Amino acid sequence: MKKKSHLIFLFTAVILLFTACVKDTDFDQSDDILLTPAIVLDFLFFNLGSENFTDIGVNNLVVSDTTFFDLLIEDFTIDNLIKADFYFKNTNSFSIQLNTQYQFLDENNDVYYEIIIPVNSGSLSNPVITEHIEIIEEGTIVNLTKADKVVVNVIAPSSLDNLDGILNLQSKTIYYLSLEQ
Amino acid sequence: MKYLITCVFMFWIVSLLSQNKEVLYGLEETPQAMLLNPGSRISYEYHFGVPLLSHIHVNGGSSGVSVYDIFQESSLDINTRISNKIFELENTDFFTATQQLEILNFGWKNKKNYYFSGGIYQEFDFILYFPKDLAILAWEGNANYIGKEFNLGEINVSGDLLTVYHFGVNKKINKKITVGVRAKLYSSMLSFSSTSNSGTFVTIPSESGDNIYDHIVSNATINVNTSGITSLSDLDTRTQVINKLLGRSFFGGNLGIGVDLGATYEINEKWTASASILDLGAIFHKKNIESYQVSGEYNLDGIELLFPPLGNGDSSLPYYEDLIDDIGAAFTIDTIYNSYIQMRPVKMYASVKYNFGQAIGGDKTCNCLKMGENQKYNQSIGFQYFSIIRPKGPQIAATLFYYHRLSDYFSVKATYTADSYSYSNVGLGLITNIKMVNFYIVADNLQWYSNLAKAKSVSLQFGFNIIIDKNE
Repeated sequence: MKKKSHLIFLFTAVILLFTACVKDTDFDQSDDILLTPAIVLDFLFFNLGSENFTDIGVNNLVVSDTTFFDLLIEDFTIDNLIKADFYFKNTNSFSIQLNTQYQFLDENNDVYYEIIIPVNSGSLSNPVITEHIEIIEEGTIVNLTKADKVVVNVIAPSSLDNLDGILNLQSKTIYYLSLEQ
Repeated sequence: MKYLITCVFMFWIVSLLSQNKEVLYGLEETPQAMLLNPGSRISYEYHFGVPLLSHIHVNGGSSGVSVYDIFQESSLDINTRISNKIFELENTDFFTATQQLEILNFGWKNKKNYYFSGGIYQEFDFILYFPKDLAILAWEGNANYIGKEFNLGEINVSGDLLTVYHFGVNKKINKKITVGVRAKLYSSMLSFSSTSNSGTFVTIPSESGDNIYDHIVSNATINVNTSGITSLSDLDTRTQVINKLLGRSFFGGNLGIGVDLGATYEINEKWTASASILDLGAIFHKKNIESYQVSGEYNLDGIELLFPPLGNGDSSLPYYEDLIDDIGAAFTIDTIYNSYIQMRPVKMYASVKYNFGQAIGGDKTCNCLKMGENQKYNQSIGFQYFSIIRPKGPQIAATLFYYHRLSDYFSVKATYTADSYSYSNVGLGLITNIKMVNFYIVADNLQWYSNLAKAKSVSLQFGFNIIIDKNE
C-alpha cells in the first residue's frame, strides 16, 4: 500500500513538472516593441573669410561648396528616420548681413529640401551669433532621405573685397529613429 | 533589433540558468551524482545509464528579469516596461543557458572496491552579460547623454557546444573518507567568445571649438574568438552541418583536457561533509579558428567645408568619402588564425549535512531501509555551496536542503536556494529504484511552475539508469 502511494505521488509529481505553463502573458506585444533612439551628430562646420570670395573674383558675391552625405540615403536611414532637427550656429564678424543656403540634392541635382538662414551682421570686435533650428517632421523627412549631397551657398549682398571678417558655422543634427518590425 | 529583443526573451521560454544542479548534488542513489562529485559514496556494484535517456538537463534564465516582467498582460506599454528594465539591470546581470544530454554512462566496482565509471555527454553552455551602456545607446540614443561614456567593454558573451568523454575512479579509502577523480577529454564542436573588450564612446562639447561636439571613440578593442563556426558557413544544407558537428563530436573537433576532483568525509555518525571541483581544464583551439580584433580610436566632429575656388567642371572635394576613409583607417580589423586556449568554467560544490531519523544499518535481519553501508539514517538536512567561474567573476549559490528516504525504492530531496537569479528558489528531486531501474527527476523554481513566465530561471533534469547491487 505504501509502495502504491509512493508511486502515485511520483507519477503525479512528474506529470505536474511536465505540465508547467506560461500564463498571464501576451507575446503578441512583441509587435508593439519600438526602439526610438535620438542620435545627435555634428553636421557641417566652416570658417569663411573674405578671401574665399575674392579668390574667385573681384566683387564676387557667392561662394559655394558641396559635400556628399550618403548617410541620408542609406537603407537604414530611409526605413527608420522619422524626424531630423538641424541646428545651425552662425557667428559673423563681417559688418554686413549674409545669407546661407543649404540645398539637399539627389544624384540628378534635383533639390529635395532647402534651408535658407539670414545671418545678422556683426563686427570684428563683436561677432554676432545667429542660431537657426530647422525641424523636419514626418511629412517632409522623406524628401531629406532622397538627397545624397548638400550644397552650401553663402551669399553676400555686396562685395566683401575690402571687408575683414569671418563667418563661422557650427551645426549638428538630431536624428530621431523609429525601429519597428 | 526588435527581433533580437524578442528572440532573447523567447530564449528563456524554450531553454529553461546556471549549471548549478543543487538538487542532484549528493543524491547518491543516482550515478549522475558522481558527475557532480566523483568522491560520492557508492553503494552499488554496477550501473549503466539508458543511452540518451540517462541524463537530460535543460537550464536557463536571467539574473535580473523574467519573461513576465516584459510580456505580462498589463495596461503599461511594453516599451515602458523594457525601458524600465534596461535602467534597472546592471552590467553584471546576465542571461545564460545550459543543456546537457548524456549519451553513455556506465560503472562497475572491482574486487579491490574501486568504483570505475565513464561515459559521454554533450553539452551546450551560453552566457551573455547585459551590455547596459550599449542597450541604453540603442534604446535612447546619445542625444540626451552628452558627456556620458558608453562602455564598449561591456560586450561579454561566450558559447560552447562540445562533447565530453570522461572516466573516473572512486574509492572509499577508510571508514570516513571517500575520494574520487575523473579525467575528461573535451571535443569542441563549436565555440565563440568575446570577453576581453575595452573602450568608450562619448559625445562631449567640442574642446577644439571647431564644431559643437566631439564624438570620441577611445581605446576601443573588440575581440571575437571563434572556432568551428566559419567552416560551417560553407555548408549548404542542415544535414551537412549536422554531419560535420557529429564528426567533430567524436574527437574531430578541437580537443581539451580536464579533471574533476571530489571527496566525502563522514565526520561522525551524524555529520557528513563533501566537496568537489569540476571541469578544471581547458580546450586547445587549433583547428577551424577564425578570430577577429577591431581596435582604434577616433574623434568625429562633422565635415569641415573649405570653399575652394573651383573652376567650371571641377569637382568638389571628397569630404564625405575622406571622412569614411578616415574612420575606416582609424580602426584596424584583423582576422587572426592563431590557436588559443579556452579555460573551462570551473565549478565547485561543497556540502555539510546532519543525518537523523530512522536508524539503519547493513544487517539483513534489521527491519530497515537498504541505504548502503554508509548511510546511518534515512533523513538529513544540510547546506550546500556552489560556484562557477564566469568571465566577470564567480556566480555563487547557497542551498538549504532536506532529504528523506521514504522507502527502499523512493527518496525525495527538497531544496531552497539563493543565487544570482533569486533568493527563493524551491527545488525538488524524486528518485525511484524499482528492481534495477533507477529513475530520477529534479527541478527547481517550483514555486513558478504554475506560471513559468514569472521565473527568472528554471532547471529540469531527469533520466533512467540500470543499477545492480549484489546485496539486493
